[in-house]
Amino acid sequence: MSSEVSGLKSATFHGDGYEHVVELVHQRDDHARRSLIALQVEVREAGGGLLATLPVDPREEILDVADLTRPHVGGRGLVMVTFDARYDPRTLPYRPHHYAYLHRRGSGAPSLYYAVNAVLGGVPDRVGATTANNLENYLFLRRPLEERYSLLVGNVAHWATAKARVLAYYAGRPRTLDLTLEPGAHAELALPAEQDGARLERVDMKTTFRLATYVVGRRADSGDMVLFDHLFPYFK
Amino acid sequence: MADLDAVDDALLLCYCTGLTVGELRESCRLDRWPPADKTQSGRLCTGCMGDLTHCLRALGASGAREPDEDADLGESRL
Repeated sequence: MSSEVSGLKSATFHGDGYEHVVELVHQRDDHARRSLIALQVEVREAGGGLLATLPVDPREEILDVADLTRPHVGGRGLVMVTFDARYDPRTLPYRPHHYAYLHRRGSGAPSLYYAVNAVLGGVPDRVGATTANNLENYLFLRRPLEERYSLLVGNVAHWATAKARVLAYYAGRPRTLDLTLEPGAHAELALPAEQDGARLERVDMKTTFRLATYVVGRRADSGDMVLFDHLFPYFK
Repeated sequence: MADLDAVDDALLLCYCTGLTVGELRESCRLDRWPPADKTQSGRLCTGCMGDLTHCLRALGASGAREPDEDADLGESRL
């Protein structure tokens, strides 16, 4: 990018009952605080409808997502929250890294720390990448856990409908789920932990363009979230 | 297909190359898509590819490189 302003659009999902805090700029500098130039936060319901555009001071280091979205979340299940950032690449040469803390209020489950999924941008032209990276995957632990798994998928496009194929692998055999998402919409796909006695090993997602994706694990008994991690691009 | 006339020129379309709707609109008007410094638009993080294709179609870009929407989404081999 030739100008002195670069863009990065990231996305996460938030549900009622969770503490959820996002650190907008994870990088530290001995000499000065690094901050974004601008930030627009949007909240969307599962069908893609815009619930809110939230005013945020880009100089803030920490955003309380639970607090910001509280008026818009109740009774809606999970909402998609996007962070549309502008930053100076001289200040943040490797783009801003948004990291987050997530914990269900009152739960004894461990707190989760995760990297917010950077969906648009984050691959400046200096990297010189030319291979499409619209195949992403996630490998699960081999040992069985008392958890329910799912895949959260969001389409941050303005106009384009997204098609995705999700392949969940059990003993090397794929179970295929196809998904279509309208602009701004999101969906949560259940991934059974077992199939025909075989454990869930891996999930792949192929799309015509990149989407916001997270694997989610919830305790089977309480439903508390114990895994929340974005998929990883796979470069052929 | 959404009408792009009402869309702000400053709207960022490709976050990797910094392509805006205004730049895309102008290059299509001049039949000069893609601009020399935007040849990687849609090819890096690929997240903008859907909207980019939508806009190219709406603006009637000639010789537009589009993603293969019928691309093989079948089983992968890692």
